[in-house]
Amino acid sequence: MTLHSSRPDARTDLLHGTLDMLILRTLQWGPQHGYAIGQTIRTQSSDVLQVEAGSLYPALQRLAKKGWVTAKWGQTEANQRAKFYRITPDGKKQLLREESRWTELVNAIGRVMKPAAAPGGEE
Amino acid sequence: MSIVTWLKGLMRRKRRRLDDEDFQEEIRAHLAIAADERMADGADRRTAELASLKEFGNVTLTTEAARRVWTPWWIDALHDQLSDVRYAIRALRKNPVFSFTVIGVLTLGIGLNAAVFTMLKSIALSPIAGVDGSARLPVMFRETSAGRQLPVSYADYQYLRDHDRAFSGLFGSSVATVNLGKGRGARQIWSEIVTGNYFQILSVRAERGRTLMPSDEVAPGRHPVIVISDGLWRRDFASDPNIVGKTIDVNNYPLTIVGVADSTFHGTTVVYDVEAYVPVMMAPQLGFSFGSRETTPSGILSDRRAAFFFPQGYLRPGTTLASAAAQADALWATLSRERPLADAAERLRVVPFWQTPGGAPSIVLPTLGVLSAMGLLVLMIACANIAGLVLVRALSRRGEIAVRMALGATRTRIVRLLIVENLVLAVPGALVGVLLAQYGIPLLVGYAEELAAPQRVFFNIGVDGLVIGFAVLVACVSAIVFGLIPALQSSRVDLVSVINEDASPRGAARGRLRAGLVVAQVAVSLLLLVGAGLATRSVEAARLANPGFDASQVTSIGVDVKQNAYDESRGRVFYRKLLDAARAKPGIESATLAAYTPLGFLDTPARRVIVESYVPQRGEDLAFMSNTIGPDYFRTLRINLAAGRGFEDRDDETAAPVVIVNNTFAQRFWGGAPNALGKRIRVADGDWRTVIGVAADVKYSRINESPRPYFYLPFLQSYRSGMILHTRGTGSIDRLVDQARASVTALDADLPILYARPMAEQKRGALLLFDLTATMLFIFGIAGMALAALGTYGLVSYIVKQRTHEIGIRMALGASGRSVVFGFLKRGLTLGAIGAALGMIAALGASRLLGSMLFGVSATDVISFARALAIVLGGVIVATIVPAWRAARTNPLSALRHQ
Repeated sequence: MTLHSSRPDARTDLLHGTLDMLILRTLQWGPQHGYAIGQTIRTQSSDVLQVEAGSLYPALQRLAKKGWVTAKWGQTEANQRAKFYRITPDGKKQLLREESRWTELVNAIGRVMKPAAAPGGEE
Repeated sequence: MSIVTWLKGLMRRKRRRLDDEDFQEEIRAHLAIAADERMADGADRRTAELASLKEFGNVTLTTEAARRVWTPWWIDALHDQLSDVRYAIRALRKNPVFSFTVIGVLTLGIGLNAAVFTMLKSIALSPIAGVDGSARLPVMFRETSAGRQLPVSYADYQYLRDHDRAFSGLFGSSVATVNLGKGRGARQIWSEIVTGNYFQILSVRAERGRTLMPSDEVAPGRHPVIVISDGLWRRDFASDPNIVGKTIDVNNYPLTIVGVADSTFHGTTVVYDVEAYVPVMMAPQLGFSFGSRETTPSGILSDRRAAFFFPQGYLRPGTTLASAAAQADALWATLSRERPLADAAERLRVVPFWQTPGGAPSIVLPTLGVLSAMGLLVLMIACANIAGLVLVRALSRRGEIAVRMALGATRTRIVRLLIVENLVLAVPGALVGVLLAQYGIPLLVGYAEELAAPQRVFFNIGVDGLVIGFAVLVACVSAIVFGLIPALQSSRVDLVSVINEDASPRGAARGRLRAGLVVAQVAVSLLLLVGAGLATRSVEAARLANPGFDASQVTSIGVDVKQNAYDESRGRVFYRKLLDAARAKPGIESATLAAYTPLGFLDTPARRVIVESYVPQRGEDLAFMSNTIGPDYFRTLRINLAAGRGFEDRDDETAAPVVIVNNTFAQRFWGGAPNALGKRIRVADGDWRTVIGVAADVKYSRINESPRPYFYLPFLQSYRSGMILHTRGTGSIDRLVDQARASVTALDADLPILYARPMAEQKRGALLLFDLTATMLFIFGIAGMALAALGTYGLVSYIVKQRTHEIGIRMALGASGRSVVFGFLKRGLTLGAIGAALGMIAALGASRLLGSMLFGVSATDVISFARALAIVLGGVIVATIVPAWRAARTNPLSALRHQ
């Protein structure tokens, strides 16, 4: 018996959206394979964000389905076979949207957490 | 579960968008790269591989999640739903008692409703079998200013047919018995005397040959033809393929069979199984004069007093019933002005089919209305029951639900699961209910047919798609509505308290709901039981009622001398000899003749009467039913004479015209029986007749009729060819019947005997409707009672189960088993009493609606109410004591350990 809901609620939407944004952001510097994407996010966040494979690969499928990334098998520098993901123009537009949404959210949270700083005393 | 397989196939096809092998390959690549990196850091291969795998996590779940990305949401939802269904079935299979109880309860509730709905549908929506849209078939009739409903004559029908523009066509039909065949093999069947356009307007085809046509309605006696029913063709002619063109004797007149009507068609007279259709132009030849004094066929058909048709037809598109009625009334006014009938003012009315004067629907529909209401009450009890049962079950499932919610299931999800469970129970309940109706209705119909025998009846009743749809709809709606309340309640569980097995759920609201359910069930079942009680007592009373005559030891032998071509003078001789022969038999006390038997169910024709020196008020309608009787009639049927004498042999055609009236007649016009003697009345346009006797009132048609004026004419002064011989004697009634039959055959071996039976059998027909209604009400009452007892038992058991812990503590502290039981009993009886009080109030209000169906008991009959109350409270007591006693007898220790 599975108790998940087929339509993701707002909470999972937020999580999915954030992960998608991180992946797209990583791919902006060039095509990468799944393992490398996970490692990049991890090192870039100084080991704070550890993306599990169980979330990463479904997320990549989701991005591929939406047409934001394309995938192609290739060789790594160590000469190993791997599937490389490349961001599409649509994906870039999506990244911009996600970034602005994210900035807005962070600012909003910031205003709530440090209320004294924002209103200030200009008037 | 083929749907699941199909769905899985569908999902697999859709999933092809996720390349499974490619995905596994990608995971392997991932693992290889990760392991390589670990080895580069100095780990050995095996450790590195294991660590990578561990870091990766669950490969299967990841694959599943990736697949899900590609699955359209609706397949996903459907899959969830199906797994809900499978889960529900599994869960319900684990609890068979609960499941079967709910299914049984629903089966009963839905079965009864489907049965009533089927009957309602057949009477209200498609009253005429084999005719589409027969409910939209308005009927015309004349109405006197006193509200008496009368047919119209053939001449008036013709005028209406030719001048009316509201109907797309008007046909006439009149039901009548005719004698089929000649000699001893003859028998009586129902026929309809119809106009030539009858079959065309109804769009009824002929199965063989042709139907009747307008060309059969040209001139009186011109076309001696007949169309027979499929049933008659099969039974009496062994489905003879060459039937068309054969000649049969109908009322001793040869008619040529021109066709067999469609097998679905049974005539337009609801409940009567009509077996032959005769053109109206042949009616006079078959001996029908419709009360006309004319003697020639064309005279009878053009006599406007010979009224026998209720014209009917379909309205033209765009015409409303109201405008058709207005038009008909205007036409009638014109007709009355042009060719005035001497009688009082009349209107022509147009009404929907079911209001056909004297038709079965107008008699049965009010009864069916009451039955439908009772059916819905039974369903309400069933639903309250299910709500109770679901509530009980929710208790044992609180743990499960709490765990689910703790694991993150949303409340919607849980409510959905519970609704699916209810539906899984409701759908089989509905299906079995429909089956119950399907097999139950023929039983009821068979019962009705048996009661009506030897008359043939036909009910256009069948379980069809509409009924099944209705039942399933009712089932689903009730499952959702009544399953939802407890489902919502149980999904609002307090996780912590449940997981901690806290025995006290925040149950004040739920307690109220439970109490409410018990009260409602008791109230509704009391209502049903009162209805059932009143109905059974009516039937009892009707069976015991004194109809004003004594039918025991009396025989009825029906003959019509016209069937052996007797004219009036030979007929008179025959009947005189018959009486003499019958009286001469050993053991016979008396013998007489009569045109009608009392308690005949249907009214016999009323005849207009003029009472000497009585001035009718404006609009007063002096038409009363009457009988034509031989000498010794009152003695043979043991009807008391209040004054004067009965008819004797000397009251013959040469003597002064005489009449006997009943008590009500004497009271109404002369203020009492003694004053009536010597007064004079005229029947129709006949001679003045002197009243020579006043007879006690009798139930002439139905046992529950109110007293009405009635009069008797002497046979010798008002000859009829068809009469009934009544004999009264001692000894076995069957021997008396055989004896009376023998007197007829001894006189004329070729004269058909229409029927020969004990007179008491006739009474059954008059009780038919009572019997049927009472049987149904009784079934409903018992079903409702059983359901309510079951429901109460279930709820009380639940309460007891919930308080086992408390009982244990109380018993451990020294409470006696008896005090525990009394505690529960007190609570049960309190709820029962509240329910009973509410039920009483409802029953007092509702039983008045039963008024017209009751006989011999008042709508507030104390015995019926007391009996119902005793049964209901008895049920509550048993339903309370048994589980409470069981709880009290358990070992206190085990009760304590229960939690």
